[in-house]
Amino acid sequence: METPSCPYHDPFKKARQENGAMETEVAGEKLALILGHKGVRTAARDHETFSSDAPFRVPIPSEEDARSVRQLPIETNPPEHKEYRAIVEPFFRRPLQKEYIARIEALIDELVDQGVQQESVEIVSEFALPLQSRALTYLLDVPENEADIWVGWGVHVFRDGNSNDSQKGKALDNYLHEQLDQAEQNPGDDFFSALTKAEYQGQPLTRDQMLGFANLTFAGGRDTVIHSISSTIAYLSEHPEALVALRENPKLVITATEELMRYISPITQIGRVCPVATDVHGVQVEADSRVALNWASANFDETVFDSPEEVRLDRKPNPHIAFGNGTHNCLGAIHARLIIRSLLKKLSKLKSITQLSAERSIEKEVDYERALGFKNLTVTLDQ
Amino acid sequence: MPKVTFITPDGEKTTIDNADGTLMEVATDYGITGIDAICGGVCSCATCHVRVTDEWKEKVGPQNDTEKDILDLEDGADDNSRLSCQIELTDELDGLVVEVVEL
Repeated sequence: METPSCPYHDPFKKARQENGAMETEVAGEKLALILGHKGVRTAARDHETFSSDAPFRVPIPSEEDARSVRQLPIETNPPEHKEYRAIVEPFFRRPLQKEYIARIEALIDELVDQGVQQESVEIVSEFALPLQSRALTYLLDVPENEADIWVGWGVHVFRDGNSNDSQKGKALDNYLHEQLDQAEQNPGDDFFSALTKAEYQGQPLTRDQMLGFANLTFAGGRDTVIHSISSTIAYLSEHPEALVALRENPKLVITATEELMRYISPITQIGRVCPVATDVHGVQVEADSRVALNWASANFDETVFDSPEEVRLDRKPNPHIAFGNGTHNCLGAIHARLIIRSLLKKLSKLKSITQLSAERSIEKEVDYERALGFKNLTVTLDQ
Repeated sequence: MPKVTFITPDGEKTTIDNADGTLMEVATDYGITGIDAICGGVCSCATCHVRVTDEWKEKVGPQNDTEKDILDLEDGADDNSRLSCQIELTDELDGLVVEVVEL
């Protein structure tokens, strides 16, 4: 299946082919990007050389200014990571349950049916944002109308392209404190209550630990899911034959979801700190400096993926690492997959999706530009 | 169609008659603990990792290239490891026994 050439896909190709790594600067920080599939996967598992025990420094750009707590479990190394992750994992495994799957499918049916009734739909704000927010209420087992508040936070809970990231971060902190206060006073079965009841190494969680889990939950699955939804819909609008293929072969939904996630790679990269000076594929990294595990580049590694710039909805095997790799792999991966699968299943029943206007969101850095989602995407959904 | 038995890390045995498709599909259809198979069988997630017992190793066959690449970096993987999404069930595998590797 042909994909329109996009100058912003795979901007790491040359460096990956030549060295497997590149030295660059992202948001003013010197970084070594690890680019090859095997190199990224190997580094993701080498916690001594490439450490996650680094508060605020796992995301790229780093988030010292945007939040006050270490995100859990992601900003820890094994063995501590395993016990931290086990505290919240039951919530993130709920999307494996049949009843949960049916609930997400019903939500997507409702939103798509509503979109069909409208003259046009702005996918980012009118569709993806409410979908992500309402789906998260299901995951956290909180009342669905909480989503009304979350929608107001926008695509990214910290960043809005302006300089008030710290204000946005504080607003999230305040909200999370309120939820945890309420859960402590009146515990239920929801995510916040579970945090107030949880123990780490035999001790109740501190408030900062609770905030660390909650902060990651709200930040980690936000812009990533929204970009995945908008990019999926954009792809289908540009490839009407994909709608037909999915309609004629419903099993294609599974492989198509994986392929779109590979192609979209909703997080370009994630950071690790080198505790000591390290040679990274020829790039010298100073002690306490960072490397990036570049999932987006690894997912276009031509030594692993045949014609990586082509979207093949039936690609199999497809050992992509769009959800990370190793012990720190994405906690929300089951949920995110369910959302995209359900979306493809529902959209395949439409006659067409017509793009009326689109503005891509571009990550612009010193040495590369990469397309990632949309600022806005207006379409008609035609039944 | 073959009969297959899964042994989960806690020692529980589940035998399924008339198994069809891939070993992973059978495991998820029957809710075998430890087989999440979250990528649906494209060899991306390694959450369908099983260990084939010695007596079945030859009949099941070796890891394919992609699978080997994935398993090379997986904790707890050894020569008997397979990703169950890569095992297509045939009559020749009637009686197959595999151990589910803890996630």
